[in-house]
Amino acid sequence: MQFTARRDGYVLIAPVTIFLLAMLAIPFLVDLLYSVSRVTFETLRSPSYLGPANFLSVIRDHAFWGAMLFSLRFALLTTIAQVAIGISLAVFLAPLLSKRPWLMAVLMLPMMAAPALVGLMYRLILHEFVGVLPYYFYLFFNDSPSFLGPRNAFWTLVAVETLQWSPFGLLILYSSYQSVPLEIRESAAIDGAGPWRRLIAIELPWMQPTILLVTFIRFIDSFRVFDNVYTLSGPGAGGDTTTMSIYIYEAFFHGDDIGVAVAASLILLLLSFVVLAGLLRLSRRRS
Amino acid sequence: MKASFVSAARWLVFLAAALVLNFPVLSTLITSLKSDAEIVSNASLWVERPTLANYSHVFAMADRFDFMRFIENSVIESGLGAAFSIGLALPAAYAIVRFRVGESWLLPTVANLRAIPLIVFSIPIYLMYQQAHLLDTRFGLALILCLVNLPLVLVLLANATQDLPIELDEAARIDGASTWAVVLLIVLPLLRPIVAASAVLAFIYSWNEFLFGLMLTTSVAVPVTVGASFFFSASGGGVQWGVAAAVMILSVAPPLLLGLAAYRHIGRSMTAGAIKG
Repeated sequence: MQFTARRDGYVLIAPVTIFLLAMLAIPFLVDLLYSVSRVTFETLRSPSYLGPANFLSVIRDHAFWGAMLFSLRFALLTTIAQVAIGISLAVFLAPLLSKRPWLMAVLMLPMMAAPALVGLMYRLILHEFVGVLPYYFYLFFNDSPSFLGPRNAFWTLVAVETLQWSPFGLLILYSSYQSVPLEIRESAAIDGAGPWRRLIAIELPWMQPTILLVTFIRFIDSFRVFDNVYTLSGPGAGGDTTTMSIYIYEAFFHGDDIGVAVAASLILLLLSFVVLAGLLRLSRRRS
Repeated sequence: MKASFVSAARWLVFLAAALVLNFPVLSTLITSLKSDAEIVSNASLWVERPTLANYSHVFAMADRFDFMRFIENSVIESGLGAAFSIGLALPAAYAIVRFRVGESWLLPTVANLRAIPLIVFSIPIYLMYQQAHLLDTRFGLALILCLVNLPLVLVLLANATQDLPIELDEAARIDGASTWAVVLLIVLPLLRPIVAASAVLAFIYSWNEFLFGLMLTTSVAVPVTVGASFFFSASGGGVQWGVAAAVMILSVAPPLLLGLAAYRHIGRSMTAGAIKG
């Protein structure tokens, strides 16, 4: 019986295992092989061994470090902003949301919109002649910044990303805020702690693991951002807005050396393992 | 007095947040109701002469920009992507929870996939697809969408299976039911609410996927997120902004409406999937 159960178990996980081998394991091996080879679209089946040269040319490429720096700054700033907005809204709106849960549906709607489409929408919204934001800037300030120009493109993208994903933080932090046990809140109130004191001494510490988790998730997602940046400003409309993902995409489709693109993507994989290891340590400490 | 003031402030903040967060969609919706002439003369949030002309225009230029085709592709690809991920994850979730097979490697691998940027695998996948003639096919893109959704779906289904009473499937097995029969006839019906919620979420996330659609499709299987961006390049120098706005609203509407309609059922899964995933 036990033996059959195990055998049945392997049969049940066989499809997903085969799928993952085909979609992840084989591509990963190809990545490894190509990263140390000289290979172009013409020589896909006959890559020639090259050694670490691809990695060296990635590391020597200024554009690579530019993209790395862009993604790091972008992820850091948007994550901080998203978590701060998420916490503030969750705490301030909690009395409203707990009585009328459907209000949350309105607030999390932005997460249901494709980031690529939101990027396109901002092309219209920020357009200097027909866009609604420049229109109101001219109306109230007699002047409008060039939102996607070299000086402002980064901040525009930070705002776009933050506005779209703050609801994620709100949704998860709100449910964490709601899970603070009533007894703890009440006994703190009886002891004379006001709302601010309770927030800082009790509620935020209670939410801390969730806050860290949201921070990690949003950092990872914002670091690998592609869709909205690509559709809104591309690899750089005036300002240089090449993210890590866009760098890899461009290196593959518009560069002539597949090995270099693959080497860059393996460096990105290594970095995400580092972040993931941090996340795992964090969750182990929690449990 | 003070309590009602605070409550009014909360409503105000809620309204402001709702408007600011949903601003891109709202503003685009407003533009889509303006004529081309009005868009040029009046960029404000006020529509002087509302018209649906832009929407009929979207469907009247199928020769240059086949919007219905993009929608059809997205419906089929997202549907298949959601179905594949559930088809693969449901048996695996059962095996992991009941037989503890793959508990130590399969579940963590898939769950942590969420933290790996899939673009890392995109180049070999592109080259594999080229060899296998899967480039620019609905089936090919659906396979990727399945991969994208697998972490969320597997975590949700494994958690839900964990909560099922074991007596039911033990009884069925004593009556001689095979493991597949137990999964399909006992577990699947019991998990219907969570399977439905996972399917809706997987459909929405598939609909919104962009990177692989951009890389792996060129004309026949182009999903709507990529197709909508074609509109900007297809119309050359002078973008018809009214029609563009209508294209964007029609492209973004299905997941938004689905999300709103199903919010009661998917809200909790979104939270759980994010926290445990």
